[in-house]
Amino acid sequence: MTIASVSQAVLLSLTIAGLYAAVAAGLTLTVGVTRIINFAHGEFVMLGAFLTYWLHTRYALSPWLGMAASGVALGLFSMLVYRVFLARVLKQDEHNQLLATLGLSILLLNIAVILWSPDPRVMQAPALLPSLRLGDVSIPGNNFAVALVGLTLFLVMLWIKTHTRYGTQMRFASDDPELALHAGINVDRVFELSFVIGGAAAGVSGGLVALVLYVQPTVGVDLVIRAFAIIALGGLGNIPGALVGAAILALAEGLTSTFVPQGGSWGFGVAFLLLLLVLIVRPSGLFGKQVQT
Amino acid sequence: MNAARLLNRLGFYAAVAAPFVVVAVAEHPFFVQIAIGVAVSAILALAWDILSRTGQVSLGHAAFFGMGGYGSALLTPVFGPVLGWAAGILLCGAVAVLLGAVTLRLRRLYFTIATLSFSLSIQVFILVTPDLTGGSTGIMPPVIAGGSPPHQLLFITACLVVAATVSDIFLGPRFRPAFFMIRNNPHLAAASGVPVTRLKILAFAVSGMVAGLAGACYAGLYGYVIPEDVFTTNWNVLPLAVTILGGMDTTLGPIIGAVALRALEEVARHFVGGVGYQVVYGAVIILFIVGMPVGLVGFARGLVRRRRKPAAEADTVKARLAS
Repeated sequence: MTIASVSQAVLLSLTIAGLYAAVAAGLTLTVGVTRIINFAHGEFVMLGAFLTYWLHTRYALSPWLGMAASGVALGLFSMLVYRVFLARVLKQDEHNQLLATLGLSILLLNIAVILWSPDPRVMQAPALLPSLRLGDVSIPGNNFAVALVGLTLFLVMLWIKTHTRYGTQMRFASDDPELALHAGINVDRVFELSFVIGGAAAGVSGGLVALVLYVQPTVGVDLVIRAFAIIALGGLGNIPGALVGAAILALAEGLTSTFVPQGGSWGFGVAFLLLLLVLIVRPSGLFGKQVQT
Repeated sequence: MNAARLLNRLGFYAAVAAPFVVVAVAEHPFFVQIAIGVAVSAILALAWDILSRTGQVSLGHAAFFGMGGYGSALLTPVFGPVLGWAAGILLCGAVAVLLGAVTLRLRRLYFTIATLSFSLSIQVFILVTPDLTGGSTGIMPPVIAGGSPPHQLLFITACLVVAATVSDIFLGPRFRPAFFMIRNNPHLAAASGVPVTRLKILAFAVSGMVAGLAGACYAGLYGYVIPEDVFTTNWNVLPLAVTILGGMDTTLGPIIGAVALRALEEVARHFVGGVGYQVVYGAVIILFIVGMPVGLVGFARGLVRRRRKPAAEADTVKARLAS
């Protein structure tokens, strides 16, 4: 274990953290505002990954444009899902909401399996950015691109929530929907908008997935489980917390899979033991508001 | 429990067991396999439902399902077949108590994530301890009934009746009000003197043991399981789909749900093949949560009640006219 190999592993893990942060930021924005625990967020990411992949392999469209197209497509798809399905579920209790989005997730995953088979695919794309060299350490160009786009997407989510008029309305509507309604805010509209923004973020994250991971139907589940772990670490609805959670999770996974013998299969388990430990000590996450229960 | 209720319940168990026994006696190989699958799903779904009555939505029941199988495999050489099974199921209960204590304070989403991550961690644990658990090559639990499918079906039907009895105990007057109060308003429950902590952990322990029973039955079918057989998302999701389809908070619901879901699954397999048939799980959950949250059993009960109501009203009108 040399300094170079450690810093290589750390830097690579941090680029993956960029992807995790992008997925988790979209999810935590939606969950933080609407309180809908959207399990299907992972499938939105998976659909984005497939869209970017197909646009590149069939029509030779640059992954940059593919990402943007996925963002738009999944934003529209989220709007459809919200209007047809989620708006009805919102009125039911939390127990049922959880079950409903879980059902949607299973449905989309298996439709993808039926349409495209469960086989993993690799997108053969030329590197989007030149690889980054720092002494003995080098980061492949696509990992660098993922880190950059992931971080940008994360900052956009944060900016929307803290610096725009809609963000203010979102925070108001999530704190006290009834009062917000009396204040003249169209709560339903605000919920829908936050769901659509979260969906668009998922679509772009899907493009990132196609750059560095296998494109396959189960990729969304793998990511959404991690994203939930991240937002549980960071605190529900806490966007900066999601970045810290993503870094912790990606580092824990990356370092064990590199330095523990046969660590490849450990990665997931270690990350979750970490999560369980944090939840035991702080049941609302590292940075979440601690609620007395 | 009074005599009438006892008789009613005994009749119910006989009615549940009868179709399975008929299939076992008829010895039709295809239907015997289907019935075994249905009974195992029903036991697992009953386990999930018992826990869900306290508001704890688990996505980690594959962990207990797998542990039931692995426990019976590892403990049978130590304690012999009968005690080994019992010890394996008790192990599930003990682990469930620990998990229940750890996740006690977690709110809904966090609870669900914690159970999901628990089941993934258990799978990792099996994979990295090949000396103890056989790792990815699997393990050999004791075979039920010498490997004869009709006899296995009879045995698993008996296990289903046991699970149904346990479920009924927790729907009885002693536990039902407390469980639903904990689900709807834990603070009110605690303020009213319901021992919330103890009951939540009790529900977890019982649920874990019943899920372990299902797993031990499943693992004992062929006497060989690998981690990918039992610790998969499929077994985490199946109990939800079954219970929601049949009807939550009932004993009959998960059993009817297991039959109906298996039928849908067979239809889906016919059209889409071996992969992707789980699309019906998703469709069923969505349709029933949005359109019929009470499930098939709840819907049927509603129909019966509506039928009876006009009749009862007519009687009172007649009575009034007569007086």
